[in-house]
Amino acid sequence: MKFRVYKALARGVFLESLRRKDLWVVAILGFLILMGASALGFFGVQGLQVFVKDLAVTVLGAFSTIVAILTSTRMLPEEIKQRTLYPLLSRPITRLDLLIGKLVGSILVTWMSFLILAALTALALFGFGVSFELIMLQYIVAKMMGLALVCAFGLTLSIYMTPAAASTTGFIFTFGSALIIRGLTSGYEHAGPGMQFLFKFLNAVLPQFTLFDLGGRAANVGWAPVPLWVMGFLLGYWLLYSSGLVAIAWTRFQRKAI
Amino acid sequence: MHDAIEVENLKVRYRSKKGKMVDAVQGLSFAVSPGEVVGFLGPNGAGKSSTLKALMGFVRPAEGRCEVFGLAAGSLEAKKRIGYLPEVAMYYPYLTPIETLFLYGELQGLRGRALKEEAHRLLELVGLKGSEKKLNKSLSKGMLQRVGIAQSLLGSPDLLILDEVTSGLDPVGRKELRHLLKERQKAGATLFFSSHELAEVDMLCDRILLINNGRLVEERLMAPLKDELRNYSIVFSGSAVLHDLTQEIESLADGQIRARFSAKEQLVEAISRLQTSGAKLLDVVSQEGSLEQYFIETIEGAA
Repeated sequence: MKFRVYKALARGVFLESLRRKDLWVVAILGFLILMGASALGFFGVQGLQVFVKDLAVTVLGAFSTIVAILTSTRMLPEEIKQRTLYPLLSRPITRLDLLIGKLVGSILVTWMSFLILAALTALALFGFGVSFELIMLQYIVAKMMGLALVCAFGLTLSIYMTPAAASTTGFIFTFGSALIIRGLTSGYEHAGPGMQFLFKFLNAVLPQFTLFDLGGRAANVGWAPVPLWVMGFLLGYWLLYSSGLVAIAWTRFQRKAI
Repeated sequence: MHDAIEVENLKVRYRSKKGKMVDAVQGLSFAVSPGEVVGFLGPNGAGKSSTLKALMGFVRPAEGRCEVFGLAAGSLEAKKRIGYLPEVAMYYPYLTPIETLFLYGELQGLRGRALKEEAHRLLELVGLKGSEKKLNKSLSKGMLQRVGIAQSLLGSPDLLILDEVTSGLDPVGRKELRHLLKERQKAGATLFFSSHELAEVDMLCDRILLINNGRLVEERLMAPLKDELRNYSIVFSGSAVLHDLTQEIESLADGQIRARFSAKEQLVEAISRLQTSGAKLLDVVSQEGSLEQYFIETIEGAA
């Protein structure tokens, strides 16, 4: 029964997104990447496989993260603003059902955008004669889990903040994730015991989006795939952290007057 | 047997944009019996929508109790029995009316062929046949309201809670809606709706609840209220003593006189006196009273 509720909600989000041409924008961006890569090929950089792959995964990661944040942070505020939330919540579903359904919808839209971009990028790389390695597949799977986590993060932020603030915070924490974690690690080394505890705590609770980015490995030629237990750990981290985020979102959303 | 709606000492409190707590509803109590059609009236900002939101569980009452068929308002069991039309209904702009109904129908627990058939039947019922596959964003306000009405009827709910139900509908649409709601009532549904269209209230309701500043001002059965508001007038020639019955006496052309009465008893007495005095009764008119006037006077009196 619950699955049907999530499916119905997610399908609505997906159809809306498709018809609003969000995914088309992504496809056009992908096409531009393809054209850019072709241009590089035209100027004869076929030998620079690492550079081209690095560029491709960076662009792919950046665009799909932008889609994930924008999709997830605007969804519920728009529902409230457009008053489409009322007929939804007048049905026999809980607010938690609604949150999960919307999260699944935003993950589907993000994954679809990512896969379109990934397919176009793979096509471009193939044009350069770059061979497909298992690490690329692992990169895609890990990135999809990371994007799903970004969606959960964005959705949670949107419950506590205005859409603009949620998007900005989302961008800071996703694109600045590596910098923030590096700052915390470096701060930990030079801090006193009290502050060390704080840095440790922050390091533990802040989402580690960089864990899901295997782009650096994937860009190199001939690198071995990561062990399966790493992928298993990422899966566990994603599920655990997303559940925590949904719980935080629900704590506030269930009491929110609409 | 439980009432369809039972509200006791309801208080709904909001935080204003300036951060102050505002009481939108202050100690409201009323009940609606199963099968009744009740109009929920009041000026803008009276607390109607807040009350309806509390009944749907969208806002938590600061105090008091809200129940639907004996079930806590907002509970899944209560929501299974309610069809709700929100004020200023908006639906996903990039979905079609039929997809909108499929979405809400699935959330209601309907599925498969039954859902498909019901969705198409309801769209036909609200006059949207032929527009099922247009995007909602291309529909007029009135057509969107029809989509809203159709979604509220999904699953044949026992209770319809409709906020500003006639909003955006043209006269033909209102007539069709009246017919539709009467059909639902005949089928045993309870109707509880807010509206500023007093003519609709007049034609549909068994009872009205009048609120202002979050408080119940008056609760009246429509039939006695209509009787009370009805005016009577007679036109006669000759002479009769009617000054103790009414002050509204005016002379017309050709020596004719018109007298107006606010109660049926006065009219009967006046006719009797005319017969006794030998005056000639030329005309008797019974006129519906103005619900609007009653509404304004009651609200002003309560302010």
